Amino acid sequence: MTPDPLNRLVAQLAKLPGIGEKTAQRLAFHILRAPGEYAAELSQAIREVKEKVHLCTRCFSLTDTELCGFCRDSKRDERTLCVVETFADLMALERTREFKGRYHVLHGVLSPLDGVGPEQLRIKELLERLGDGRVEELILATNPDVEGEATALYLTRLLKPMGLRVSRIAQGLPMGGDLEYADQATLAKALSARREL
Amino acid sequence: MERFADEALVLSTVDYGEADRLVTLLTREHGKLTAFAAGARKSKRRFAGALEPYMRLRVQLVETRGSTVRLDSADIVAGYYTARAELSLIARALYAVELCRELTREHEPHPELFALLEDYLRRLDAKEAGPTSLLAFELAALAHAGLMPRFDACALCGGPPGERPRFDQSHGGAVCEACSGRAREAVVVPTELLSGLRALQEGVRQPLSPELRARARGVLNVFISHHLGRRLKSVDFMAQVGLD
Ligand SMILES: [Zn+2]
Ligand SMILES: [Zn+2]
Repeated sequence: MTPDPLNRLVAQLAKLPGIGEKTAQRLAFHILRAPGEYAAELSQAIREVKEKVHLCTRCFSLTDTELCGFCRDSKRDERTLCVVETFADLMALERTREFKGRYHVLHGVLSPLDGVGPEQLRIKELLERLGDGRVEELILATNPDVEGEATALYLTRLLKPMGLRVSRIAQGLPMGGDLEYADQATLAKALSARREL
Repeated sequence: MERFADEALVLSTVDYGEADRLVTLLTREHGKLTAFAAGARKSKRRFAGALEPYMRLRVQLVETRGSTVRLDSADIVAGYYTARAELSLIARALYAVELCRELTREHEPHPELFALLEDYLRRLDAKEAGPTSLLAFELAALAHAGLMPRFDACALCGGPPGERPRFDQSHGGAVCEACSGRAREAVVVPTELLSGLRALQEGVRQPLSPELRARARGVLNVFISHHLGRRLKSVDFMAQVGLD
């Protein structure tokens, strides 16, 4: 008979993505054996992430202040705005250390087969923040699948008439890759998006 | 477990757990199948780019104990990349695949429907299929599924639809003025709408005016949702983005 509190912890951990019953048990025993502060800090961290982290009121990335760090950082170029599907995509772009502009997180993509339309995304908010005329260029960095493409095309239709420069991130072969092993769709895209030298 | 090859059009996909994906395929010989694509989300290499709606594939499938099949490999035969570069073409292609998905049941062969969808996607990709072609495709797809709205005669008395015809989805088509008392849901439609839709059913490729297309869209929407028991989701999308 395992004690109820332990069972409850295992059950909660097992709800996490990628965590099965066995792993949940191992994690629960680890927490049980660890020094008391660890459990206290873990539970506090979990509580605070729910209580304090919310969406930035301007770009809808995650923050624990009203405006996020990307929106507050005066060194970032406010003339260039990169539009992404999710916060995870934003973090991936940040890891490149190449992009110095600001972001806008849509929180999803247009998904006709799932009934997700423009109203369910942060598109209205995007258009509102463009109203101050500071942004000059938009980079559409939605995923290169049919939904990401539909979203980028829909946004282009809205943004172009506003006199903004709109670009789409390129698609093609991975760096250091090998043509021989590239998949058909990527290679086809790389061919059609070739550039003149 | 038997292994077989077939041609397939991807109707839709849904993520399954952390790493896998369930893919609904319309195959040429085996009808609609739900295929389990192991590792499709994690490993970019195995099915990369192939498991997207309206991709035409050559697939290797393996039967399993349940009704689901296992997807072993997928080779892109046609990616219809042009039809992925314009919003109106994407919207029409997705509507076409959703309609085919909803009109069919699993493991029932529909070679004609496969050929119809394949031909429609090919013409869409060649920019030969405008909004009227989508209506023609719908009528043909409905006919394959045994749902053929009647536009040439009154669905109740069999007489001519007359000067002030109605359309009634529950009676399956046109209703004349004299019979309209017995068709409570019937709506008055222009005579040109009935003749236009009739011509499309007969294979005449004559573009309809935007007004007639809008009326035809309305009539087909109520007809399809009446027979399927639900509205197609991509039809709302077309309305939301202002396309047909
Ligand atoms: Zn922000
Ligand atoms: Zn009648």
